[in-house]
Amino acid sequence: MGRHQAVAKTYRRTQPVDWGRSVHRRRYMRRELTSVFLIAYALVLLFGLWRLSQGEAAFEAWRASLSHPLALLGHAAIFIAALYQTISWFQVMPRTLPDSQVKPASIMRAGWTAAAGVSVLVLALVVLGGGK
Amino acid sequence: MKRSNEPIIWLLFGAGGMLSALVGPVLVLITGLLVPLGLLSKDVMSYQRVLAFAQNPLGKLALLAVISLFLFHGVHRFVTTLNDYGVRGGHTTMAVFVGIAALLSLVTAGLLLGIGF
Repeated sequence: MGRHQAVAKTYRRTQPVDWGRSVHRRRYMRRELTSVFLIAYALVLLFGLWRLSQGEAAFEAWRASLSHPLALLGHAAIFIAALYQTISWFQVMPRTLPDSQVKPASIMRAGWTAAAGVSVLVLALVVLGGGK
Repeated sequence: MKRSNEPIIWLLFGAGGMLSALVGPVLVLITGLLVPLGLLSKDVMSYQRVLAFAQNPLGKLALLAVISLFLFHGVHRFVTTLNDYGVRGGHTTMAVFVGIAALLSLVTAGLLLGIGF
């Protein structure tokens, strides 16, 4: 960089050394980590959609691959991350609505109840639906 | 003055967060665990049934929403985490990752259209 060139003096806040050990930091990192698992799941579905477009044999091969022990292990990890996402999303939500008149605990409970209700509905539609 | 694209990106992040919080666990449970383990009938994810779902306009919308919004939510979180770890060039990194999510969303839409109605 030249001597007379302007240098951006962006303020960079330094983190205290023990921040990595704080309980808030760890909770935050767990929440952030769920993103990687959600991306992985979206890619699994996208790959399945691509195989579906290639016909029955390709789709059946993709479906069979889901039963591989590593695939099951991966999906178990994704499932835990997804549950964590559900729990933490509604835990954090009250803090994103600072002017809300509703109590934070009520927002959380409403969110979790909605997620449980939607889950039961989806499961019921998948098991009972189709009608063929 | 150039308008910020941040509200749009944040809206996609929020929509993906809400959708994944509502349906994430149950979808992973069905497609990744119950059906592959045989606890739910394999017919639940038979070729005919999944094809019919992907050919239905509402089914197409559901698949696009899940794949695309999960991606937008995921990359947004991932990039903000990178920034926390001091990775420079936050805006560039965000543009690249959001670009990848947008590209994969287009691929998803293309596949869904290609599968027909």
